[in-house]
Amino acid sequence: MFGYVRPFKSELLVRQYDQYKAAYCQLCRALWKHYGRLSTFTLSYDCTFYALLMLSLRESKLSLRRGRCVMNPLKRCDFLESDGEAYHKAAALSVLLTYHKLRDDLADDGFWKSLGSRLLLPLASRKAKRAAEEYPFLAQEARKAMEGQREAEAAGGGVDACAEPTAALLGALFKELACRELEGAALERFGYFLGRWVYLMDAADDLAEDLKNHAFNPFISRLGLEGKETLSPQERKAADEACNQALNATAAQMVLAFNLLDLQGFGPILENVVLKGLPEIQREILFLHVREKRRKRPEPQDLR
Amino acid sequence: MTDPYKVLGVSPSATDEEVKDAYRALAKKYHPDQYADSPLKDLADEKMKEINEAYDTITAQRKAGGNRGYTGAYNNVGRSGSSGFNDVRSLIMSGRIADAEQILNGVPPERRNAEWYFLKGSVLYRRGWLEEAKDHFSRACQMDPGNPEYSAALNQAMNQGSGFYGGYRPNANMNAGSCNSCDVCSSLICADCCCECMGGDLIPCC
Repeated sequence: MFGYVRPFKSELLVRQYDQYKAAYCQLCRALWKHYGRLSTFTLSYDCTFYALLMLSLRESKLSLRRGRCVMNPLKRCDFLESDGEAYHKAAALSVLLTYHKLRDDLADDGFWKSLGSRLLLPLASRKAKRAAEEYPFLAQEARKAMEGQREAEAAGGGVDACAEPTAALLGALFKELACRELEGAALERFGYFLGRWVYLMDAADDLAEDLKNHAFNPFISRLGLEGKETLSPQERKAADEACNQALNATAAQMVLAFNLLDLQGFGPILENVVLKGLPEIQREILFLHVREKRRKRPEPQDLR
Repeated sequence: MTDPYKVLGVSPSATDEEVKDAYRALAKKYHPDQYADSPLKDLADEKMKEINEAYDTITAQRKAGGNRGYTGAYNNVGRSGSSGFNDVRSLIMSGRIADAEQILNGVPPERRNAEWYFLKGSVLYRRGWLEEAKDHFSRACQMDPGNPEYSAALNQAMNQGSGFYGGYRPNANMNAGSCNSCDVCSSLICADCCCECMGGDLIPCC
């Protein structure tokens, strides 16, 4: 999706970092195995988080296997295998979200800019169809979210209305993982605010670019920046701080729900993501302006 | 019943002090006050009960005095004597957010007073629409500046944007400790200046 949901590397134990890397590589393998070589380009930190959450909510047997990297046969890689379908499901989600993203780009961009998406779409739609057959629930929720997003943005909705579809998507996906009802409530709430956080982070990240391109961004009307093309340093700073506050309020609610989850296995890694990784992204994007746009496929080594 | 030591996350060989610390940390984490406005209140209460029981069992086993856990929680939306929206208030208190919102939306614009904005804000807050909730709370405070209920709600909504409860705080140093060598030096120099003002001296050489 966006790649914001990732751990803060320097606060991970070395053991946890190795585990995270091995899980990341295993998800890449699952993508390759189930949806073909090209689908490994859809690999993201977000879907890795989804897989780790699934693996932490129920007992699963994990085993480490040494092998070669899927993309580069010269590189050695560890793979953290598990029984059950966690990786397969996360791979399906990754494919489905990318498919909807491509369709979205196609509708938004002009002919030349969308040429790449246009060429990839038939292939992606074939894979997405297979993923949808295997996981109809994921496909249905992803489609609902994309339609909701389109409607909310077309209606020029506020920050909350625009964040709702992504938030509801993760809420529904996480709720489905619950083993008991009360836990489902906490998972849904956690997913809701994580999705909301991701959407707001992305909107805050794109704010300057959207202003320049006269594209829709919910923060533009929220912060009263209509009609502006560029922001002075002071305006930029004020906008970043306002966005940061909205993100903090969301994170505060997320932490409350997260604290109620019973996590085994990767619990500490997930806690690192929620308590340290997300704030770090806010810092990097809003205060350090490390705007490395997600052009290339991220590697676990890229974690800061 | 599950192993009380496992619930608190300590080993059975832990000292009384360690058990107490673990209990305190968990009690802080699950404290019902934090969840007063959250639909997860039941789950938080359940967790709180679990750790209270575990702690009570351990202390009883060790015969090391009694314990009182946190009981009771306040809820931001309570009964209010002169309320025009008692039905909405009780719906919110029982967690029926959608019904409460429907009634609120049916109120014609000219009858929307400060309380309406407060209750609508509470509904939005529970749904996770934090930004609009904040707007509604501040509108309620503008219309009725003296009302403690409204200003408490606005304060809470504003505080959570500070990054203290989650997210990033620009003014706090996350990577190093809160006190680095630079802080120590500047504080000492500052203290020295203060002493000199009053006729004393802390650092004789400057």
